Amino acid sequence: MRRGAELRPARGIRLALLGIAAVCQRAYLTIWRQPLLLVSTMLFPVIYLVVLGNSLNRHLTGLPLAVVDEAGNSLAAECRRGVLALQTGRGLVKATFSADRAGALDDLRGGRVRGVWVLPFGLAARGPAPAFIGDNTDRASYDALESTLAEIWADVTGARRQAAPAARLEAFPYVDYLTYLGPAIVCLAIFMGSMVSGGLQVIEDRMFGYHEGYLVTPISTGTLVTGHILAGAVVASVAGVLVLLLILMITPLPFQAEAVAASILTVFLTSLAIASLWFLLFARARRASVLRGMFGIINVLLFFPSGALYPVESYPRWLRALSDVNPLTYGLRALRDLLLRGARPESCLPEWIFLLTFALVCGVMTQVLFRREV
Amino acid sequence: MSLSRPQPSDPGVIEVTTEESIARWFEEPADRAPAIETDALTKKFGSVVANDAVTFAVRPGETFGLLGPNGAGKTTLIRMLTTLLPPTSGTARIQGHDIRKERPAVRAVIGTVSQAVTTDENLTARENLSVQGKMYGLSGRTLSSRIEGRLREVGLWDRRNQIAGTLSGGMRRRLEIARGVLHAPQVLFLDEPTTGLDPQSRRGIWEMFGERKASDPGLAIILTTHAMDEADALCDRVAIMDQGRILCEGSPQSLKKALQTGERVALEIEPDLEEADGEALRGMGAVNLRIGSGRSIAFQSRLGEGVGRRAAQLLELRGYRILHLTIEAVTLEDVFFSYTGRALRES
Repeated sequence: MRRGAELRPARGIRLALLGIAAVCQRAYLTIWRQPLLLVSTMLFPVIYLVVLGNSLNRHLTGLPLAVVDEAGNSLAAECRRGVLALQTGRGLVKATFSADRAGALDDLRGGRVRGVWVLPFGLAARGPAPAFIGDNTDRASYDALESTLAEIWADVTGARRQAAPAARLEAFPYVDYLTYLGPAIVCLAIFMGSMVSGGLQVIEDRMFGYHEGYLVTPISTGTLVTGHILAGAVVASVAGVLVLLLILMITPLPFQAEAVAASILTVFLTSLAIASLWFLLFARARRASVLRGMFGIINVLLFFPSGALYPVESYPRWLRALSDVNPLTYGLRALRDLLLRGARPESCLPEWIFLLTFALVCGVMTQVLFRREV
Repeated sequence: MSLSRPQPSDPGVIEVTTEESIARWFEEPADRAPAIETDALTKKFGSVVANDAVTFAVRPGETFGLLGPNGAGKTTLIRMLTTLLPPTSGTARIQGHDIRKERPAVRAVIGTVSQAVTTDENLTARENLSVQGKMYGLSGRTLSSRIEGRLREVGLWDRRNQIAGTLSGGMRRRLEIARGVLHAPQVLFLDEPTTGLDPQSRRGIWEMFGERKASDPGLAIILTTHAMDEADALCDRVAIMDQGRILCEGSPQSLKKALQTGERVALEIEPDLEEADGEALRGMGAVNLRIGSGRSIAFQSRLGEGVGRRAAQLLELRGYRILHLTIEAVTLEDVFFSYTGRALRES
């Protein structure tokens, strides 16, 4: 061989960099050869966004309501007009009018109506006042009906005219739920993307023996771990950024170059943290069935406590503790600040530092746990 | 480990034993450090002893075969030597580097072709080698010219851009071999390199190892196999392993010579064999003479060549008609049998 004429193989840092490049090269080629994998990775969060965004927190319409008019006076008539207006206007209710209280309550028990509004005999502004009996198994409908009917009563009796209107100001541009979900969906894409390239690949390598090809080479365990984490993080970032751009297109969020650049950095750091968490969890796993079992649990443990769907402030203490160490919480918070609240990039620094620290801690722990010997 | 194995009745016949061969090895002028030397290498999995104080040495340029049935501990031994498994006790040095203390240095000088498929099925042949080469610190033009050279050596250059998953079994194995020798290792470990391949692919791979040896005469190869013909074809020296121990060690020729029996002869004759003629055969050196229905005779010859042929001549001279004659040369299989009392394939 022309061994003499060739350059000596690299050592030290250069070998480490080449090793990281090799792990990444392979990860990207693998993904590149299976574009379906990445597409399905992103499809899941997008479907999630469309279905969840349209199924939660939308306006309620056509709630069946029974109005029992036992009063028959002019005030009761005004109340009925109010309900009719509600039906034809916002379409919140589909009202039926009767004087049969027992029948209406029967309908309520049978689930045929969601609420019964009783206008009792002698209805007057000073009392007796109307009674609302609602189907409280469905909290959202109950609250909507209860508050709207109370408004009608206040209107009819003139109570509202006497109270001074409270000052209400929305600090940020109007955000519908779909848009509110946007950053959460980016996080979901990161989560999925890091799973197919990071977690799964480590286990697959081990199952199919490719790992041995790595392990008999002179590159260090640290290089291997770093390479796998970086490879997973970049694939997850690609998924995250693509979903981010998609969200910017389909939602009315403004496209500001600075905020988008900072968002992409956030996506990358979140990916890094999640990828290193996956690798830590699977540092010793041997079978893909472990991953399948874990996926659901990790998804629930990371995604829901992050405040993706509902504000963190509503969680009980133990869940908030979980949320406090959850990298998705921080990624999500930074993304919401940047995209929804138009925050300056530097205000996300604490979140970025947390994500980076999280990735480093996981990486170091992985290196300690990772067994080179198979 | 109390293993009742039939020892050859006359130990003096055995030309080389493990300790002796190592002693002899060290007496020879040591122009280079040994490629591999193991020192009572032992691996226990719980109470199961996979390798029991295995000691041997391999010279640079030598092809050393580890023979034995499945479960003999060959793969465990290779995994320890390739730093994939830490030994329970004892150690080994590869090119002078201790496998326990200097693992990165060991990894830099060894190449492996394992039973597992370690090339990525989603990458092309060339991409696989490119990934692998970087792990050994190769890059740029050095790497690409090395890849071309190796792919040409294994006859896959025309298929360099084919996805590995679509290569045939034999080609995939050749890609594995190209991967194993990519970085010009000084010691090459081959763990059952031809298992599961058709005879033609096997021979092709044997030839490739021959060429590799020719272009890199200092390369030490350590090969595990349970195919005796493979050991015969490739190895300068073999060690027979069973139940975690090396039973004997030497060149295939010397091991076969050390046997008390030589070739295996089967005859079918007409008419039935007379008792006196049977005695005559024994006198010529036939042992374990078995007379079947009177017409079919089988025996093994004592050491020395041509007993089968001479026996047939003798019988013809005495007026028998020979209907059928088979003479099988002694194989390493017989060596294994003489040490374990079992045929290799049964175990």
